[in-house]
Amino acid sequence: MHPAIANEIAKNNKQVLFVWLDGGMSQLESWDPKPNTRFGGPFRTIPTTIPGVHFSELLPRMAKLADKLSIVRNMHTQDNSHSAGVPRMLRGDPANRGVTYPYFGSAVSKILGPGESGLPPYVWIKPGSGGFKPENAGFLGPKYGAIAFGDGKRPENFTRPDAISPEQDELRNELRRRFSDRFAKGRRPTANEAQSYVYDMARTLMARADLFDTTTLPARDLDRYGRTELGQHMLVARNMLEAGVRFVQVTSYGWDTHGDHFNGSASLIPKFDAAFASMIEDLDDRGMLDNTLVIAMSEFGRTPRINGHHGRDHYPEAWSMVMAGTGLVPGAVIGATDAEGIYVDSPHGNDIGAVFHTWYHALGIDSMNEEFYNADQPLPMAHHEMEPIREVLA
Amino acid sequence: MITRYVCAALACGYLWIGIGFSGEGSVHDKIDALIDAANSKVEQPVAGLADDAEFFRRVNLDFAGVIPTVGETQSFLADKSPDKRVKAIDRLLGDTKTYARRMREAFHVHLMERRGENELWQSWLENSFAENKPWDQMTREIIRADFRDEPNRGAAFFYTKRMEKSGQNPTDYPGVTRDVGRLFLGMDLQCAECHNHRLIDDYNQVDFQGLFAAFSNLTLLREEYPAVEEKLMNTKLEYSSVFTGKSREVAPKLPGLNEIEVAVFEKGEEYNQAPDRKTKTPGIPKFSPLTEFAKQMAGTPNFSKNIANRLWFLLMGRGIVEPMDQFHSENLPSHPELMELLGQEFITHGHDIKWLLREIALTKVYQRASTLSGDEIAPPERFAVALQRRLSAEQLLWSTIRATGHRPDDVQLDNIEPEEEDGDEIPGLRERFYEAMANEPKLPEHEFSPSMKSALFMMNDTEVLKLLDQIVDEKATLDGLYLQIFSRLPIAAETAEWGKYLNETENRKTAVRDLAWAMLTSTEFVVNH
Repeated sequence: MHPAIANEIAKNNKQVLFVWLDGGMSQLESWDPKPNTRFGGPFRTIPTTIPGVHFSELLPRMAKLADKLSIVRNMHTQDNSHSAGVPRMLRGDPANRGVTYPYFGSAVSKILGPGESGLPPYVWIKPGSGGFKPENAGFLGPKYGAIAFGDGKRPENFTRPDAISPEQDELRNELRRRFSDRFAKGRRPTANEAQSYVYDMARTLMARADLFDTTTLPARDLDRYGRTELGQHMLVARNMLEAGVRFVQVTSYGWDTHGDHFNGSASLIPKFDAAFASMIEDLDDRGMLDNTLVIAMSEFGRTPRINGHHGRDHYPEAWSMVMAGTGLVPGAVIGATDAEGIYVDSPHGNDIGAVFHTWYHALGIDSMNEEFYNADQPLPMAHHEMEPIREVLA
Repeated sequence: MITRYVCAALACGYLWIGIGFSGEGSVHDKIDALIDAANSKVEQPVAGLADDAEFFRRVNLDFAGVIPTVGETQSFLADKSPDKRVKAIDRLLGDTKTYARRMREAFHVHLMERRGENELWQSWLENSFAENKPWDQMTREIIRADFRDEPNRGAAFFYTKRMEKSGQNPTDYPGVTRDVGRLFLGMDLQCAECHNHRLIDDYNQVDFQGLFAAFSNLTLLREEYPAVEEKLMNTKLEYSSVFTGKSREVAPKLPGLNEIEVAVFEKGEEYNQAPDRKTKTPGIPKFSPLTEFAKQMAGTPNFSKNIANRLWFLLMGRGIVEPMDQFHSENLPSHPELMELLGQEFITHGHDIKWLLREIALTKVYQRASTLSGDEIAPPERFAVALQRRLSAEQLLWSTIRATGHRPDDVQLDNIEPEEEDGDEIPGLRERFYEAMANEPKLPEHEFSPSMKSALFMMNDTEVLKLLDQIVDEKATLDGLYLQIFSRLPIAAETAEWGKYLNETENRKTAVRDLAWAMLTSTEFVVNH
């Protein structure tokens, strides 16, 4: 990237919230319901704050916030498997260049930088285990990987042992700096810089133990977000965004409902509704929505056809994703599916490449003309044959 | 010149006799001459020789995988003999057990890239280095992966770990192909699977597919030991380029060499030993591409230069060809003549790893100081100054144990079994260090790139703190701490600064502990320099 442009972009204070619904949320039970049709399922629809647009009744709070969203209803992608499909979505599925493209979070970390918070630029809040995820960064290099906080909790070795007081910790780190700086004289500075950087980041994070602690939040918040796993994780995500973390990814698992899908949806979707709606409300309240790109999606949707286990299967041919915030037109609905939700309207719908271009543009990054560099190899930022969805860009 | 057989005889003995070829024609002198010439040409300022302490720490980390003990450092510093450096190198190379462990640790990471562990693989590696097995022989054993060759069975782990399936994904034959290309031939052919490489003219799709023909013919066997089986092969592999669409075929083939002729037999005649369905014993096909690959691999154009380059990297922190898996005509070595020299000499010396490591260690270049005076800038590829190199999790583990005054025997290295049935194991020091300091699987550990995890570990881990608590001795002197942790004595300015700190403290015990911690986490300790 041209240095002058890189500098401009670095001054950019945009942030991203990326909500990943792993397994395939059903568009028919959420953003693009088809009531009273062959495949419509048992749920009804409710009107939203966008005239003429309805959501499933399972999203009552999001229905009231629809006018803040940009809703893409004609997603049409290539992969119906989880193992391959999930990374393809998360990496933007560019044309194969023989390199592993970075997750959107890694790309944003690199292009926009960590910001001023001193916290990791790319944070991932997920159920299960945490740790450092360098593989997310692809060819950008492990530095741009995600730091995952398992169950939204503090990482291992986070707490200073009782035997070391805060003053002693400060002192010994000061001593470390002095030894390191002495050693750095007459030597290339990179090793010393790398070592200092990780200690500084660790200590900044340790000083913000509050980011992980939702118990001190008002009961009203805990109730609004829902006293569910996703609700709690979304609150940690809110803390992170408020603290200035550049890119926060939140994952919710369990969406792959091949069986008993309607009961599954009745359980999963309202929990998502509460957590996601609360987040959008709060970002808006805090004036952060103008500078934050908010995304919620899965690796594909679910089939109109209902299978023998009262379930829906994988469906990349016609599904929906939503976004909100910076650089986007609120209350926009992009594309449509046919009456039964089997086909997307335009010949190709929108593939993930177009969506990536859209996200980059929303953040003020010209992905059509800028390039990544993998050593000397220039690479398009997103699929080179696709374009951003112009109608949704402000 | 030592022939291969003499070399083997010497290596099998218990004494590595340091035959000091320090004459004009020695390889190490030639190495120095080539690098000096290149630096003179561009008037590159170079560092002088490292002082004794820096040299001694470096050579111990490189050949023993751990910093020296206080006693060893003191002896070396006090030694007045003019050839003490050569003697130190030879003593370290002659300590077979320690050398073999160190090389096992280094090559395990280099070849398996933290994908997993296997006892047979580790013992095969260690035995190979203990015998100073030539590299071409090690390669043959890995490539042939003959599970019937019991002592060398573990070598198959190179394939088997990479062939394990994950999730719904198919067996990663392209991954095996790519890694054989990268690690043994210095060619990353990943971008030549589906078409000729777009950017590297020397890498063609036929290079990838020729390798792939043999490796995609393997099946993982379910045994307690790593094992693969070759299926029958009686046709060439068909493939086509995604760009031209033209259909082609190739027999198993190594880059730069001719195709191996696919031997076709009458039905029923294909095996030397037929498979036995009852005992589930695989057969021995008459045509074995792996056998042919094993025979021919050392004859491929870049085979010897690739390993010479990687051994150079092991001691110098940077390959002569970089990246190390991109040998091709448009990627010039930083010192082309030097690369040729090392490749050639390595062949002449029968791919003797210990011999090459010794020659490199005897160079001035290896023994350079890591500082340049003033504001001099030395681009790394000039080898004008010793680089700050990454220490592996293993080196850091052993060194931290030693630096805190312990021995491996008296610390909790291994995991502790849980007391309750469904409880968790408590990780030992070894696992903690790997978690904190090693890369995630498949990420080569070439550069110093510390993680936040390592910082949190050194700051807050209870086992680390225990190690430090036990170092604390109120009588500990500054000199003692420096010798134990930094493997050197403090300079006057340091004695002034820290001496003052220690003498003015109220709680000397805590002060010593904090000073020691700061030294262990400073850049000086965590890199090799």
